[in-house]
Amino acid sequence: MHKIVEFIRSIYVFLLFVIIEIIALVSYANSSYYTQAKMLNTSNVVVGGVYDASAFIGHYFSLKGENETLLNRVLELEQSLLKYKSAEVLKRLDDYMVGNTNNDYELMSAHVVSNSVNKSKNFIILNKGIRDGVTVDMAVVSPSGAMVGYVADCTERYSVVVSILSTSFKASGKLENKNYFGSIVWDASDKHRVHLSELSKYAMPEIGEKVVSTDFSNNFPEDVLIGTVVGAEMNETETLYTVEIELAVDISSLEDVILVRNNNAGEIEQLKSGHSSNPLAN
Amino acid sequence: MHKIISYTILFVVTILLQIFFFDNLSLSIYLNPLIYIAIIILLPVDTSPLLTLAVGLVTGVVMDFAMGIAGINTITTVLIAFLRPFVLALFFDKNNLREGGIPSEGQLGRLSFLYYLLILTLVHNLLFFILEDLSIVHLPVTLLRFVVSSVVSLPSLWLISQIFTHPKLQTSL
Repeated sequence: MHKIVEFIRSIYVFLLFVIIEIIALVSYANSSYYTQAKMLNTSNVVVGGVYDASAFIGHYFSLKGENETLLNRVLELEQSLLKYKSAEVLKRLDDYMVGNTNNDYELMSAHVVSNSVNKSKNFIILNKGIRDGVTVDMAVVSPSGAMVGYVADCTERYSVVVSILSTSFKASGKLENKNYFGSIVWDASDKHRVHLSELSKYAMPEIGEKVVSTDFSNNFPEDVLIGTVVGAEMNETETLYTVEIELAVDISSLEDVILVRNNNAGEIEQLKSGHSSNPLAN
Repeated sequence: MHKIISYTILFVVTILLQIFFFDNLSLSIYLNPLIYIAIIILLPVDTSPLLTLAVGLVTGVVMDFAMGIAGINTITTVLIAFLRPFVLALFFDKNNLREGGIPSEGQLGRLSFLYYLLILTLVHNLLFFILEDLSIVHLPVTLLRFVVSSVVSLPSLWLISQIFTHPKLQTSL
């Protein structure tokens, strides 16, 4: 007995080392992007304030460029508004808006307080949280309307977004005006490029074509711009394309983003789960 | 007592530098310098293996929460904290180890200190980047990330050690 105690005493540092490593390995193996978002939110309680302050200062240096983008966007919207106005006046559609009060999507702006592009799973932290009406799964797009990511978790004042530059990001995309779709994946090799994989061989992508979101996901509205095609490769069995896409937005220079809530997501989800529990369906 | 204070300052400063500066560098997607291991590298040479391990554990857990990665930082910092006494023994004879002091160029000699710094940093970085993206497909990218990040981590850590062991700073603390 005495000898065993002596032996353990001589190697207790090693034993401790092994135990800590096993615990750390197990917690790493069991973690998902969801746990990571949870952990980031825990540390946000402390570091969030500092991020807020630094982002607040940094914001002033990019005001000029942002103003330009906003101005262009306003002009664009003014233009489309004019079209509607003239249509309304000309055709005297008095009941034009009747019965159309339910918006499918609601928009909200938020400020980026922290953003990284140098990891394989990148997250963006926004300064809006539960108290501002942010919910998990809301889509995040750039001010110019390009895909950025979706909300993974939120606290009272902050939310964590899975960036499109993350190997765990999931969304589907299609070529604009063609009904062939594939999944959007990032291979962690270039912060300006993602891939549209598993695209049917009949899609015949052309360089310069636009890639937009589909309406399959509960996150993104249909036709959100993702980027433009810069190259395509056929797989060995010549059945599927992997298309290289130049992103429409530079994720690393994002300052402000727009959050999009799908007001019908809950209802669709309910319908899905209701359908699967229906005994007649099987 | 002043030792505890100066090491606490080193710990806080390097962790803040890591979270607010190095983690937010958007220069390249391959660049992610890891400098928070400075505290483990610069612990006095006579620190007991148990205390070194404890410092490694605390550093790892704090960084895990700050970076939002469950476990990777802990796995890597605890490993180098465990290896540190053995690496030190490579460059130091036993009598000197008992005397204590901060590992520095003055204590170990310029070349020995650089080797010591190099071994701990490379072991830490290599394991970190491999664990961060466990995939054979991304291996070339992971290795590139390891090389680019280490090239920036090493001079940064060397600079931190120079500042921390500067005679003027040590006497004023």
